[in-house]
Amino acid sequence: MSLLSPNRNRAQRHLTDDAFADLWSAAAASGEPVADPHLAACAQCRTRYSAFTGWLDRIHDDAVGEADEAFPAERLAAQQAQVMRRLEALERPARVIAFPRFARPVTSTQGHAQRWVAAAAAAGLIIGLAAGQLVDVRRMFTPARIVATQQNARLTTTQPVGAPSVVPASLSSVSDETLFFGGDPARTTDRLPMLQAMDDITPRARDLEQPR
Amino acid sequence: MTGAQAAGLPTREADSAAASAVKALQAEGRHAEARERYAELVARHQRRAARIAFHYLRDSAESDEAVQDALVKAYTHLQSFREELPFEVWFTRILINGCLDRIKARTRRERWLVPMPESPHGQRDFTDRVAGNGQSPEEQLLGRERRQKLAAALARLPERQRSVFMLSHYEGCTSREVSALTGLNESTVRVHLFRAIRRLRTLLADDAASIGVGGEKRRVTS
Repeated sequence: MSLLSPNRNRAQRHLTDDAFADLWSAAAASGEPVADPHLAACAQCRTRYSAFTGWLDRIHDDAVGEADEAFPAERLAAQQAQVMRRLEALERPARVIAFPRFARPVTSTQGHAQRWVAAAAAAGLIIGLAAGQLVDVRRMFTPARIVATQQNARLTTTQPVGAPSVVPASLSSVSDETLFFGGDPARTTDRLPMLQAMDDITPRARDLEQPR
Repeated sequence: MTGAQAAGLPTREADSAAASAVKALQAEGRHAEARERYAELVARHQRRAARIAFHYLRDSAESDEAVQDALVKAYTHLQSFREELPFEVWFTRILINGCLDRIKARTRRERWLVPMPESPHGQRDFTDRVAGNGQSPEEQLLGRERRQKLAAALARLPERQRSVFMLSHYEGCTSREVSALTGLNESTVRVHLFRAIRRLRTLLADDAASIGVGGEKRRVTS
């Protein structure tokens, strides 16, 4: 059956390229030789049709030749060998290569004990570090009197060994209250007795005065 | 005799017998024998498969991989092969699907990557530099140019037209065989083949004119 318009009169007119393509594709699809009344009768169309099929044959030869050039016999042989290797590899179970450290079997009891000891040590270390951050252990076990003495001693040692040669003139004349609270009477008068102990150990500005 | 057989393809009976034997051997766990028997099928279909893959992919290394993958896949899925379908049709479908997947992947890849520049002779790898077949350098050059034009023209065809044209014209398949391979019905195959030739005539007009074929769509009155 023709794909082109059935109204055309092939007996009267020469065949077009589309008609050639139609005839050729019909023949190629069915595997039968071309059968057309005009083509059988017209020598000019037969010549043109043979040129048309020659063009298609040339395309075929070029394409097939190019593919065959890309795949010579040696390459096909190598390809077949590679396919066979891949098929063989598919059927072999996958090899698992043991890591060298675990290549030697270890006894289960020894392994368990070691694991427990290691876990306990790690846990102890972590708990110890955490507790050390949260609680000052030294202060907990030291009596309050010793702590006060130690603080006193620390304060005295923090005093400069060599006193500054130049002292601001205002320091000798200004009281501590004035220096810290700016002379606010409301703040200076409202001292709590419980802070007295702290006040006793606090160095005074006058202590820093250099003897002239 | 079908077009496929005319192109030097093996008989379907031999293929079916070999495929059935391989299936039975696989089922019995005799894998070494199954592989040996399958090697016969590989040898029969390898060249044709390489041609088809090359026509699709236009790259010998990628075609090689596609053929290998299709052959391995066919072997591993042989249990799903039905004897009433010719082995070559079943296998070629696997191959064509693999090639189309590769083309899609390549298209995605080329969206992001700059393609490697080709050599002055248009060669992409060493396999393209095979020894000549006795042609003069001028003939070789002209042949190469012609092939490049043909490849470019084929690349411009819609995918279905290209598949139908390549299978019908290059591999000599009948419309029934192409229908089984592509899943299109026979009349559609014929329409695609006709349109593919007409489009190629337009795209390769210079080449067609040089061999004395009439002009495009020209109606000559007597």
